Amino acid sequence: MAPPFPHLNVCSAYSMRYGTAFPGALVSRAVEHGMDILALTDRDGLYGAIKHVRACAEAGVAPVVGVNLALDVPSPAFDPVPGMPAPRPRSGRHGGGRPSTGPEAEDRVTVLARAKGWSRLCRLVTAAHHTGERGAPKVTRELLGTWAGGPGEHGFGAEDGLVVLLGPRSDVGRAVALRRDEHARTLLGLWRAAVPGVVIELVDQYGFRDAITAVRMLGLAESMGVPAVLTNAARYLDPVDHQVGDVLDAARQLVPLHPRHLERTTSHAYLKSTKEMWQVAAKVCGADQERVERLLLTTRRLAEACSMAPLDLLALHNTPPALHLPEIGRDPVPLLRHRAEDGLVTRGLDRSGPARERLRAEMEIIEKKRLSGYFIAVAGITDMIRGMGIRCAIRGSGAGSLVNYLIGIGEVNPLEHDLLMERFLSEGRIGLPDIDVDVESARRLDCYKAIFERYGEARVACVSMMETYRARSAIRDVAGAMGLPPHEIDAIAKAFPHIRARQITASLSDLPELRESRLGDAGLERVFRLAEKLDGLPRHIALHPCGVLIGNSGLHDRTPVERSLLEFPMSQFDKDDVEEAGLLKLDVLGVRMQSSLAYALSEIKRVDDIVVELDTQQPLPGDGTALEDHEVQYVPHDDQETYDMIGASRTIGCFQIESPGQRELVAKLEPRTMHDLIVDISLFRPGPVNSDMVTPYLEARHGWRQPYYPHERLREALKETHGVVVFHEQVLRIIEVMTGRDLSYAEKLRRTLDTPAGRERVRKTFVPLARANGFDDAAVERAWQVLDAFGAFGFCKAHAAAFALPTYQSAWLKRHHAAAFFAGVLTHEPGMYPPRVIIDEARQCGIQILPLDINKSGRDWRVERLGPRVLARDQARAQARDKTGDQPGDQPGDRAGDQPGDRTDDQSGVRVRVRTSALEGSPVRRDFKIDEIGKGYALRVPFSAIKGVSEAEVERMVAGQPYTSLADFWDRARPSRPTIERIVQVGGLDALHDLRPGGPRWRPGELTRRDLIAQVAVLDRASASGVRTGPRGSKRYSSPVAASPRAAAPPSVQLPLGFGERLVPGELPEMTETEMVEAELEILGIDVSRHIISFYDELLDAAGVVRARDLLAQRNGAEILVAGVKVATQTPAVRSGQRVIFTTLDDSTGPIDLTFFESVQGRCAATVFGSWLLLSRGVVRRTGTRAVSLRAVDCWDLRDLDSLWRSQGIEAVRAHLARAPEERAGVGGRKIEYPNGYRLSPYSDVGPAIADPPRPLWHASPGSSGPTAA
Amino acid sequence: MSRLYGDPIEVWTRDGQPTQFVWRDRLYLVRSVLDHWVVAREWWKTGDKDPGERQFWRVEAGPGREVGSYELRYDTAGNGWLLLRAWD
Repeated sequence: MAPPFPHLNVCSAYSMRYGTAFPGALVSRAVEHGMDILALTDRDGLYGAIKHVRACAEAGVAPVVGVNLALDVPSPAFDPVPGMPAPRPRSGRHGGGRPSTGPEAEDRVTVLARAKGWSRLCRLVTAAHHTGERGAPKVTRELLGTWAGGPGEHGFGAEDGLVVLLGPRSDVGRAVALRRDEHARTLLGLWRAAVPGVVIELVDQYGFRDAITAVRMLGLAESMGVPAVLTNAARYLDPVDHQVGDVLDAARQLVPLHPRHLERTTSHAYLKSTKEMWQVAAKVCGADQERVERLLLTTRRLAEACSMAPLDLLALHNTPPALHLPEIGRDPVPLLRHRAEDGLVTRGLDRSGPARERLRAEMEIIEKKRLSGYFIAVAGITDMIRGMGIRCAIRGSGAGSLVNYLIGIGEVNPLEHDLLMERFLSEGRIGLPDIDVDVESARRLDCYKAIFERYGEARVACVSMMETYRARSAIRDVAGAMGLPPHEIDAIAKAFPHIRARQITASLSDLPELRESRLGDAGLERVFRLAEKLDGLPRHIALHPCGVLIGNSGLHDRTPVERSLLEFPMSQFDKDDVEEAGLLKLDVLGVRMQSSLAYALSEIKRVDDIVVELDTQQPLPGDGTALEDHEVQYVPHDDQETYDMIGASRTIGCFQIESPGQRELVAKLEPRTMHDLIVDISLFRPGPVNSDMVTPYLEARHGWRQPYYPHERLREALKETHGVVVFHEQVLRIIEVMTGRDLSYAEKLRRTLDTPAGRERVRKTFVPLARANGFDDAAVERAWQVLDAFGAFGFCKAHAAAFALPTYQSAWLKRHHAAAFFAGVLTHEPGMYPPRVIIDEARQCGIQILPLDINKSGRDWRVERLGPRVLARDQARAQARDKTGDQPGDQPGDRAGDQPGDRTDDQSGVRVRVRTSALEGSPVRRDFKIDEIGKGYALRVPFSAIKGVSEAEVERMVAGQPYTSLADFWDRARPSRPTIERIVQVGGLDALHDLRPGGPRWRPGELTRRDLIAQVAVLDRASASGVRTGPRGSKRYSSPVAASPRAAAPPSVQLPLGFGERLVPGELPEMTETEMVEAELEILGIDVSRHIISFYDELLDAAGVVRARDLLAQRNGAEILVAGVKVATQTPAVRSGQRVIFTTLDDSTGPIDLTFFESVQGRCAATVFGSWLLLSRGVVRRTGTRAVSLRAVDCWDLRDLDSLWRSQGIEAVRAHLARAPEERAGVGGRKIEYPNGYRLSPYSDVGPAIADPPRPLWHASPGSSGPTAA
Repeated sequence: MSRLYGDPIEVWTRDGQPTQFVWRDRLYLVRSVLDHWVVAREWWKTGDKDPGERQFWRVEAGPGREVGSYELRYDTAGNGWLLLRAWD
């Protein structure tokens, strides 16, 4: 029996837009064929290498790893060999006549790593990417020679070297195919001179002339004594995949499908069996059996010479793991010990016994795992980030480690919240600890730059991630390949929600809004069918939003590195590969809320000259650091006014708790302490919500039912959440108590609870252990039931604790510095809501919204104070008095900050930080007036909000302030004509020219906005015709100096600044209020001057629509009409397995939350997703003491009703609203069912497709954290 | 010189390879396969069904003793053979 054939040229799906099969599938197929060696040689990179090796290791196949790289096109002068003028090929295909697409567009070679050649392969790929353009790596013979290693035996080079396979696509193969035999010999000679390991690769995919070329190449190899091997250059799993391959060829090259662009002519490039490959060999070698055997034997020998030991790459699975640790110059172990000791003192924990004991335990594990250097390196980075003045907070399980707190990586004290380290780093866990830090999103790249500068590119690299095909991208690429017109492609793709590509066909019949669109009948079946086949295939590589590898100078021996779009060095490995390869990483995540907080703080300082210390707690009076020259405010974690606001569910804009669901939950939960917030954040997860952990918790919290403890000894672990398992930490404690084993062991069991099979395994170990530990059968059973039900769904408390801090901080800022807070939120858009919703919330908080003004607006949203400053000292005193003096439940309206007059009592200015215990258990509700928290302040619309404005324009406009007239603005700020017209339209010059739009349209003698726009045209013509010289003449923006007012003052020839003489005021009509709001929405995306819904007031009143502010007065179960602007739609996962649409409307008096269940979606879905202004009928559902939500019954487009009302009167509207709802089919699709009865709609959590208006004026899930550009 | 024909013929195969065929009422025995290649169809231009591929065989064959070169084509979707060309 001959040995199985080894495939040495195989491309997986990680050859982006080329391969069609994933490494795991290829390995399984190889196993089915009885093969024992399999290579992966993806194009341009090692993106799939780790996955391949891992799959091979699991299947017992020896992995070979290589890469397929393009050869740099030799310059014509260099191409012909000296003294050997190559005959000009008749076809002219070589050299200058090379086609730009198709298989002949570029020459490619395959490079295999020998058994120990991984490092060289990585370095080669890195070098190839460094040489070529981004995303188009190139190699030359010389470059390959540099990394190929020394000479070895058998013509395969050295054992730690590389082998180059020259196939039909190589320069040698092309020469052979063109019958330029001498040229081919010369090229092969050059290859042999440059690289020790050179092999001729024969491929016959049954294409026209494939066989002849292969035969000739075999002859060439034999005549020159070069080894020849056989491959199939595989890129498919099965022959039928060739259609997908064709589409990918077209998509990759951005051309329509045409044979001329395709890589193949046949469907034979699949992973053939040994027998099929024997047939190929026989075909190539003719009937010569000896040649066949020699060819296959050489192939086999090369495969064996290149087979790697999987553990060489899967460093993590060695014992001990072969980690790639950062260098820090000296022995990290004592260094970390000293820093932690110092930390005990600075954190005031040096006398705490538990802290010392915890530190000892953590250090033991860290040192055992040899991770000291990692912690030192991370601490160095966080210190550096903070040193740059960038906000930086720890997130995730890392918050559970005391060491992280002590050495200053994080600000969360794990002892205070009873967080466990085992969740982060435990003895029995294979895997690496992951420290995650959040930084200001706007400055994330600054952080990266600083890290690269400090450690050098040789030691750090960003982590990458694969962007894969989803419905929209797949439809775009397939339709493009099919040659559909671009605008049609756009329309089709946008009709789909953000679903997976494989759901396309099903969604056409399942989703009401797509059924309505009739896309299913548009003759696009083939497009959809092919698009489905692209499902999940990698499309391109992108910078991971946060991962940074931290290693030593040998990093590039372990991972190939390429450049990201922003030129950051980026590993070709994703985050899983990185861990497998034993590389340590730090996650530096840009969080918009941190930027918002930073901006808010800077605005508070600018406007009120108050320094708010968000992170540091107020030093105790004895510490001697008294208030200095500027006012300092500290942020106590128990500020009841903040919790009042949260409990009243006025949390729009706040971190983590602003979604409709969270607003409902906080209203029910009424958090009073940081711990309550931690619980709240943990509860608001699909798992807990779906397993209905929320209700028992709330009932026990409010004392409506007794907490349930499975066993008295579990009381300690479950007390904090009234007997409900909310946190992973509690699962660990339960296991610890019941089994008597340690927390590391418990963590190991907990990780197994995720799957039903895992739960069964855990049960088999848990039950006997607990019994042996002295618990009776009933108790064990009860405890097990709790674990079974909640074990997989808990949330890491450390994670929630890390989240709770910015949540509270944002809420505190909203409560006490509302205007600055909203300025930050509007500038950095951290949340799910679009600006107009935030603006509306700000308005309801009593903040005025001021229009754009070319003399007052800034680059970003600015706070303006309307009256004299309220002294911060008074404010602080007032707060102090609130806390110390008054009882909870004091007079409504007597809030701090608004009435500076009556501060007489209590001169201490020191806050007392207790009180939480007094409040716990019996939350005392205080009246809270939302419209007073921002009084006295205003927000100014910034230049950056103008649609289409460029960075440079904004800079010039700000730098040139103040302006004296339109002409002055035009001259010195030099905005583009569309920009200046937009500025006029939204009133940017109203103040300057004293315009008062609204009221009568015709007002002779008075200047109007339209007059100004006409004047812009005059100015534009004047500057275009060259009447005037000066900066306007040159369109280019040269330097900031030129933009400064003085330098730019133009030598005006004809148009002096007083341009009024050319203007006939009142010649054109003024804009109406409707036109103003329309312009504002179109240009700014915000209705500044009036709320859009106010135009419909009359209709709403006539139809008897209930306003948001009156909702609380409605009877439970009443059926009412509501209306508003759609601000958000979400389709989250819910317990019943339905697709439920949650919609929030805003009617200028507050938010209205509507729920559309599947039963009504048949008639409502298209309207809900497709309209912007909605009127809906719903049934009132009281969700909390001060929260109401509506179950929607029907809905209409408000604008349709409005036109009906205008044309036919209110009776017609009433009749229309009274229509009997016609029944249409609801949402289809098989539910995804979970073992505990939790079912999930396949369309949950996907954003719906949307229609007008053009700018995003409302939120659509998913994605609340906002995109991270890279 | 080769001549183009395009006549439907009947072909006997072994292991997918043609062994003999009948063309214009004469039986040709295939002596050897000179070349064999496959051309996939432009599936995106046709209807829903996979148009399959076309297999080309260039063979030495002849009725009786004289031997000529013939090009046969097999259409996988239509399951039919053609004699495309002959060099005789």
